[in-house]
Amino acid sequence: MNRALNSTYWLLSGLMSRVASAAALFFLLTLVSAALLVDVLPIDPFAQRLVDALKGPSATNWFGTDELGRDIFARVVYGARTSLSTAGAAVIIAAALGIPIGLVAGFFGGWRDTVLMRFIDVLLALPAILFAMALIAVLGRSQMAAVIAVGITGIPNFARITRARVLSLRKRDFVTAVEAFGGSSGYNMFRTILPNSWSPILVQVVVLCSVAILLEAALAFLGVGVAPPTPSWGEMLRTGKSYLYEAPYYAVLPGVVLTFTILSFDVIGRALATLLEDRHDASGAEIERTTP
Amino acid sequence: MIGFVLRRLVQLVPVVLIASIGVWAMLYAVPGGPIAGLVGENATQEQIAAVTAQYGLDRPVVVQYLDWLRRAAFGDLGISIYGREPVLDLIGQRLPATLHLAVSATVVALALGIPVGVASAIYPGSWIDRILSAWSALALGVPTFWLGILLILWFAVDLRWLPAVSGYVPIWEDPIASIRNLLLPAITLGVYVSGILARFLRASLVSELRADYVRTARAKGLPERQVVGIHIMRNALLPFITIVGLMMASFIGGAVVTEAVFTYPGLGRLLIQAIGTRDYPLIQGCIVVILVLYVAINLAVDVLYAYVDPRIDYG
Repeated sequence: MNRALNSTYWLLSGLMSRVASAAALFFLLTLVSAALLVDVLPIDPFAQRLVDALKGPSATNWFGTDELGRDIFARVVYGARTSLSTAGAAVIIAAALGIPIGLVAGFFGGWRDTVLMRFIDVLLALPAILFAMALIAVLGRSQMAAVIAVGITGIPNFARITRARVLSLRKRDFVTAVEAFGGSSGYNMFRTILPNSWSPILVQVVVLCSVAILLEAALAFLGVGVAPPTPSWGEMLRTGKSYLYEAPYYAVLPGVVLTFTILSFDVIGRALATLLEDRHDASGAEIERTTP
Repeated sequence: MIGFVLRRLVQLVPVVLIASIGVWAMLYAVPGGPIAGLVGENATQEQIAAVTAQYGLDRPVVVQYLDWLRRAAFGDLGISIYGREPVLDLIGQRLPATLHLAVSATVVALALGIPVGVASAIYPGSWIDRILSAWSALALGVPTFWLGILLILWFAVDLRWLPAVSGYVPIWEDPIASIRNLLLPAITLGVYVSGILARFLRASLVSELRADYVRTARAKGLPERQVVGIHIMRNALLPFITIVGLMMASFIGGAVVTEAVFTYPGLGRLLIQAIGTRDYPLIQGCIVVILVLYVAINLAVDVLYAYVDPRIDYG
């Protein structure tokens, strides 16, 4: 426990010592707290005042109002909850399925490797956005559908990163020693190899968060994401696009927040990769992005 | 080489088969097929049954799939349930638009990505490197649909230079109109990819710069331009070809979002419409065509790769 705390402290202080990653961390913390506290904040993302529809930014409505007179700033804050929870759940699904696939494929090799990696190839061959859309067409439009669709498209990243890590550790002495002492394959995979693979996986978690947020927003932009009236950033851009002439801020401001969020995850992911690479050989910590 | 190409073509078969079975199974997993939307709300049970039978949707799923597969093997992808036109014709109408966009986006991506990547690799750690790497991070982080909206706001709404809605005009019919229509979508798609290209090219150049042959070339007194331009580029561009190929391939189906921003009539939007109306033959056809093109482009890249790099032996 103490060791885990130490590493966390070490990583945080490493991130804080760089201006860009410190700013990104600060931005994300603000966003997460806003998403958590949205119910107690004095803002209402659902209150409609049609007389105030499509008014520009002002002291009362920082980001202006939408076509139903709702406060865009309130909807952006609420949208953070939609976006972060969808992305977070999707990354958990991707990791929960992708890491075991990578472990098994890399550890056993042979036919298991061939079958699992062919499956991953098929997932990779179809653009993530198309796959997610086809899945949502089947599951119906809901937050759960978006989570599952985005989650499945993230499986290849975890599977390939983990597999690469396993392959580089498979023949190391501490792994063969466990084997020689009669440790089971399961024990070896989950208790010996996995604890030594967290660096590249952690980097992948952060990077995939940015990819998941982008994909979720893209789905909402195409009209197949989380259903209205629940505010979501992609949906706001989609509606805002119809009012480019009357209310240009409508499509611009939510996009600024979305972009900052994606960039923040990206900056932190890269900073983590460099930090961990400097500390010990985090081979396989390559960063993969597959996005619309 | 011919053997290699044939082997790769054979490998394509299971991927397309698995994908088509997957799509088919997914579409049939839930109730609410295309017929409900087709016959209208007031249709009687008999009418629904008649229309269902007319499209052969009353047969067992496996029989339907095998029937589709047999026809598909001979190039017949069936008839669109909504468009009442052969699926292949519908796809054929959209494909040129998609290819136009893919090629022009690739041009934009290369024009931006190569200079940025080379400049930041030659002066690693300098201010130019930092600015350029920030730029490529930005290119990757900015959502394409938001960038598209900003471009429309600026060039179509404010300046009124370019159309806000991009139609498809073949470049051989009216080059100027074609470019005017393609410019904004191509920039939107190309900027994003140029970020990936620049990063990749930088990494690949930096590792080449440390190679022994570079020191040799410098030691024998070659001018720096020749060292970088000829010796290094030839080696650094090899992996680059693969990335460019992957990008182009992903433009075929992955430009859905950009197409939606500019309401551009490409393959991606056809697929969105098909998914919206659950037009099974059209969905299946689009996905198979996208997959085949994707793999075909990758194959072409591999062949080109072997051609450019004499060290590779595909036996």
